[in-house]
Amino acid sequence: MGRVVIDSEKCKGCLLCVEVCPRNVLKKSETYNSKGIYPVYAENKNNCIGCALCAKRCPDMAITEVYR
Amino acid sequence: METLVFQKPSRIKKDCKVTFCPGCDHGVAIRIIAELLDELGIADKTIVVSSIGCSVFLNDYYDLDIVEAPHGRALAVATGVKRAKPDKFVFTYQGDGDFASIGLGESMHALSRGEKVTAICINNTNYGMTGGQMAPTTILGQKTTTTINGRDAEVQGYPIKICEMAAVCDGAAFVARCSLDSSKEIENTKKMIKRAFESQINGLGASVVEILSICPTNWRLSPQESHERVRRELYPVYPLGIYKDKANK
Amino acid sequence: MIKTGEKVLLKGNHALAKAALNAGCKCYFGYPITPQNEIGEYLSVEMPKMGRSFLQAESEVAAINMLLGAAATGTRAMTSSSSLAIALMQEGISYIAADNIPAVVISVMRAGPALGYIFPSQGDYFQTVKGGGNGDYKTLTLAPSTVQEMIDYTYKAFHLAHKYRTIVFLLADGMLGQMMEPAVLYDYPYEDIDNSDWALDGAKGRPGRWIGSIHRTETALEQKTLALFEKYDKIKQNEIEYETMFADDAELLITAFGSVARIAKAAVKRAREAGMKVGLFRPISLWPFPTQELNECAKGKKVVLDIEMNMGQMVEDVKIAVNGESKVEFFGRPAGYYFTPEEIYTQIEKTMEGLK
Repeated sequence: MGRVVIDSEKCKGCLLCVEVCPRNVLKKSETYNSKGIYPVYAENKNNCIGCALCAKRCPDMAITEVYR
Repeated sequence: METLVFQKPSRIKKDCKVTFCPGCDHGVAIRIIAELLDELGIADKTIVVSSIGCSVFLNDYYDLDIVEAPHGRALAVATGVKRAKPDKFVFTYQGDGDFASIGLGESMHALSRGEKVTAICINNTNYGMTGGQMAPTTILGQKTTTTINGRDAEVQGYPIKICEMAAVCDGAAFVARCSLDSSKEIENTKKMIKRAFESQINGLGASVVEILSICPTNWRLSPQESHERVRRELYPVYPLGIYKDKANK
Repeated sequence: MIKTGEKVLLKGNHALAKAALNAGCKCYFGYPITPQNEIGEYLSVEMPKMGRSFLQAESEVAAINMLLGAAATGTRAMTSSSSLAIALMQEGISYIAADNIPAVVISVMRAGPALGYIFPSQGDYFQTVKGGGNGDYKTLTLAPSTVQEMIDYTYKAFHLAHKYRTIVFLLADGMLGQMMEPAVLYDYPYEDIDNSDWALDGAKGRPGRWIGSIHRTETALEQKTLALFEKYDKIKQNEIEYETMFADDAELLITAFGSVARIAKAAVKRAREAGMKVGLFRPISLWPFPTQELNECAKGKKVVLDIEMNMGQMVEDVKIAVNGESKVEFFGRPAGYYFTPEEIYTQIEKTMEGLK
């Protein structure tokens, strides 16, 4: 069981994290942030194993913390 | 009980906003360098030399001592810093245009002198900040805003190969090319930068890590397609690997 | 080894190099060019013995940027070069000025334009004082006229560079660099200046510092330049330096700088002996130029005769300074020959004749 903390204001919606997540946790949001970007959020929270691959892939340091 | 397994490195500014284009690899490179400064315990004695291009904004991200070099002069500035303060840890952060076009002379001479500094060169095969013009590393056939029909060897000549050139400099202690196109390559890039940093710490000479990176905006590709292009088109021209390592002869 | 205070025969370039060492110059970066090579050659031998860094750069472009790097750490550092090679440094000079960091640049002028030759010249007044780099900046410029002053003003150059965190030029020429004459080498007379509040030395126990010139908002960029010019105003208030000779009652006032001022002095003395009311005003700080001081001095003079080893460069600043208080004439010749005192004396006679 893991947990990711996403700063949705910093997310630019490149979706690279979605691609690397082995457990299909992350998904593009339906609502946009103050920059007009549809950020990523943890939809399937319970699937997260805290591998931090998403955080290490994120070019915007928008995934600020990962817990396991 | 939860354990924190990932957090931002200590020298990334708390309130920093990454202003690179969506998907750009710069942010990853900047983060893993900061992680290494923490892991090696050298942040307190680090002086960074930033350069011109997208890499000019390092002070937005790093809570470190930073000096901005004029275009192409990062390794000359780094030489001055290191000669003045030999006990400090000094690295440059440059693009391929900065390192291998306007600054090729400074780069080759600093490497040949064996300056105890590390150059991190982000190679995205075009001039990113100015809008995607041809760079020294633009590969044959690559379309840019100044080679709209693709780079033609007859007209623009051949791309410059940074690591291959750097490796022939006797003063270079560690030379490696890596990529940020996948999680595995990100891990490997971090290892390469670590070894480059260690070669400086051990006083072996100059070190260079060339990082193949994407420029989705100017390549007119999505970040995912851009990483695919790195693997498909850049790997054959710019093979990954260690080109020189004085620590493991 | 020269003892402090001993009068010895010294070559201009050697005197300057010795003074730089006394001033605590820890790093030197340069590229060979005549007529200043003795500076680098001398320092290449002496600096390593003192545990300091001498580095022959691959180009002047690299040298000025190495200087930028050393300057960013607050280290006393310098480069030396000449005319066409100073031209190559202009980009770095603009950066150093914008960065508010201390650096000393020795310019031993030779004849141009372009390659010209190694003859002495004053053809780079504009290059130095008006600057060849981009944007709004100034370079504090000191012009020695004797080997002794090569020592005095090298000391002052280091002092002012660190006092104001600015780039300082010592503007000499091939004649001053190559000539030998007695001079006294003495200890660096200025106190050390604390730089712990700005210099880069690794951000330990304090926030990181950034030395750079890019500002991405109109306001920030404007504020930066305004702050730079506030500093320049302070330099103008405190650091104007000039010398006068027989100026008070002169009808003809000669203006000249550097080695030409020295030659002019001999001609002025001779003219006085012949009963002509001739005086001299010699700017020593070329920037800041002694504008107000020259204006005062020019009041009531019949003519100001500006003499330079070029086709008329400082004369523009002289005209601005005199501002109609007197007529301004120019006497110069392009680089190649330097003036003899006789030549200047003849010109004085001719100008005095024209006043009748």
